[in-house]
Amino acid sequence: MIAAPAWAAPWMVGTAEVIALIVIVTGLLQVGFYIVQLAFAAAALLSRPPVPRGATLWRRYSDQAPPISVLAPAFNEGLTVVESVRSLLALQYPNFEVLLINDGSKDDTLARVIAAFDLRPVQRYVDDRMQNAPIRGFYASPALPRLLVIDKENGGKADALNAGINTCRTELFCAIDADSILEPDALLRVVRPFIDEPELTIAAGGTIRIANGCKIDSGQVVNVRLPRSFLALVQIMEYLRAFLMARLALGQMQVLTVISGAFGLFRRQYVVDVGGYSHATVGEDMELVLKLHRYMRDRGQPYRIEFIAEPVCWTECPEDAAVLGRQRSRWQRGALECFAKHKAMCFNPRYGRIGFLGFGQILLVDVLGPLVEVLGYVLVPLLYGLGLLALPWLLAFLAVTFTFGVFVSIATLVLEEIQLRRFPHARAIAVLAGIAVIENFGYRQLSNIWRLQGWWQFLRKQQSWGTMTRKGFGGASAG
Amino acid sequence: MITTLQALWEFSLFLCALALVAVGGLLLARGVGGRRAGRREAMRRMLLPAMLRGDTVGIGGTRLSREVAAGLTVELAELVRGSDRDSLIAAARAAGAADQFVRRLRARAPQERLLAAEALALFPEHAEAVAKVALGDRNPDVRLGAALALAHEGRAPPVGELVRRLGIGTTEHSLLAVSLMRDLARTDPHAVEALLYDLELPDAVKLAATDALAESGAVDHALLVAWMSEAADEESELRPRIFRALGRIGHPAGHGAILAGLDSPDWRVRASAAEAAARSALKAAVPQLAVLLDDDEWWVRLRAGEALARLGSTGRLALHHAALGDAPVARSAAKATLAERSIA
Repeated sequence: MIAAPAWAAPWMVGTAEVIALIVIVTGLLQVGFYIVQLAFAAAALLSRPPVPRGATLWRRYSDQAPPISVLAPAFNEGLTVVESVRSLLALQYPNFEVLLINDGSKDDTLARVIAAFDLRPVQRYVDDRMQNAPIRGFYASPALPRLLVIDKENGGKADALNAGINTCRTELFCAIDADSILEPDALLRVVRPFIDEPELTIAAGGTIRIANGCKIDSGQVVNVRLPRSFLALVQIMEYLRAFLMARLALGQMQVLTVISGAFGLFRRQYVVDVGGYSHATVGEDMELVLKLHRYMRDRGQPYRIEFIAEPVCWTECPEDAAVLGRQRSRWQRGALECFAKHKAMCFNPRYGRIGFLGFGQILLVDVLGPLVEVLGYVLVPLLYGLGLLALPWLLAFLAVTFTFGVFVSIATLVLEEIQLRRFPHARAIAVLAGIAVIENFGYRQLSNIWRLQGWWQFLRKQQSWGTMTRKGFGGASAG
Repeated sequence: MITTLQALWEFSLFLCALALVAVGGLLLARGVGGRRAGRREAMRRMLLPAMLRGDTVGIGGTRLSREVAAGLTVELAELVRGSDRDSLIAAARAAGAADQFVRRLRARAPQERLLAAEALALFPEHAEAVAKVALGDRNPDVRLGAALALAHEGRAPPVGELVRRLGIGTTEHSLLAVSLMRDLARTDPHAVEALLYDLELPDAVKLAATDALAESGAVDHALLVAWMSEAADEESELRPRIFRALGRIGHPAGHGAILAGLDSPDWRVRASAAEAAARSALKAAVPQLAVLLDDDEWWVRLRAGEALARLGSTGRLALHHAALGDAPVARSAAKATLAERSIA
């Protein structure tokens, strides 16, 4: 492949070959893993297909559905908190309690909830096995027995969730983001593995979808539409790939390494046993799942961590490049922190398939992926400029890389269309197919630079979350 | 001969073509589906009021009409009861819905077969076909779903055979087995009770039967409680659920077992025994429950506190004593319980 010019020393050619080989092998491994994921995702959707109607779901599962505590941490959510709580109280589930955790908000979050629901101070006997910042008080109303507000000093999202776990009294808890929207039957859908395999299932995650552009009324997504912003459209495609392909497949393989912090259902006892959410990481959701794997494997106890495609939680994605960049570099940092913290599991036979496949995937996609891709972007043109790389080969490999990226995205769209069909208009399919092509030119490279920033922050042991500004669902609903 | 370079380009083109065909196919399917949806909607508007009234409608027997009738049957059957439901089933039968469900029983997708079996269970003349699915479908979800639907309609195959063919407790661990047992116990409680005495059956089956029988008033609770008390003494993962069932029944014959459970080395058993003591108003448990306020496990302290608060003045007095006592853990638990219940 290398067309060595006369002036090039053998070591130069050798180095160029090694670099090209690393980039190609990493790319091929990723491609191979994506093909396997597509196959497993399709198998998962075919073997456990969605229950189409909410009424059918209720008839089948409601009698045996165990009680669930929905934990919703809120920090400075004054503008949306009342609507969010109303939406949570309207969930269709036979037995649940909403624990809203005011994590020391500096705005009027607490005052608004208290006023809107006519809450009064109450007492609650709480567990103390997990550490959390001091709880200042509890608020409830006899008229709304499903709602309990926990007011605590600020300690971050992980700390707030730990306070919620200490307070909840059900075997299962569902951790969500207070600013997300759960579909009314999401709990009934995500609880299914806990009913089907009650002795084995310790956690289950559901799909997160992007609400930007959708019409939202009374805390519910009533009309699924695409946003106008290019960045939001690209993220819709990314989320489809991440959830409908990657997590579905990893769940089917039983090597799921992350359940999104925006929506996950856990068996409380095991989470308490592993010490709850860790404070010193920005990837606390991923870390919890890794801790659960590690705990169960160390004890030699059989278990399952599942991903269910149908239960949907809607969230708002950033449409501003700077905010998105901060989010992506934080995700990258979180993945690296988790990998570093649990590196003893990587390729360790003691941890079975999670050690090889789960950690192999983190290593390939999260740890090496951005480094190698950016290395490729920088060095391959450089080597070509020096005459150490042949143009036909360079273009051919680029073509395969890009067309495969497009193919994976389109295959995910096919899965979505066959099994879930959430986009009501055919135009949305055509637009997303176009996005699947366009995102390869510019956005993909930008995304890798953000991830590289995450690498840099990880090496500098930066701990901040960065500002995450949101427009709020009120904005999304307009129009 | 194709070179590697050429193969790479051709592979790219192949991927492009595949993606294009897939998108084209999706859009085409949407277009066709849209036109079909219009006809379906018109058929639905005609059939819906007629089926709700129980009128038989001649709709031509086309595939579309049968599909619409089948869809409406599933939707409406969940909304109507009694004679209205009988009329609906008769109208659905006349519109070809049952025939459509019979066809769908052979569908490749498990969900299709499951929905068909559930719906077909509503038609008494097809109970045998659904029973065949319940006992022999290749997908366990379909088997269990068909069995549940039949049991709900009171047309299930014999209990013992059903339990064995579904593999309850061996290959099938779903909690839906409890729903199944409850429906079976409604029509044949003694057959379900007999499961408790079958030595070959796994504990999970017996527990599902116990849960179902505990809710039903159709069996002799004294015998059931005697079995549960015996089972509660054995080392088993199922013990907490047995104690919960004992609490639900509240039969005096179970009180001895509940009192013994409060001293169990397993905290899960202690917690569920405390819960059972409260539910069965077992005042004799108050001294032991007061001791459990000092337990190492928070769940046990919580359940003991809740039980004492529910056991009348004796229980509340014990809470007040503990709140003033020397043991800091018990004191904290008692104070928190009293404060939470606003009886401090």
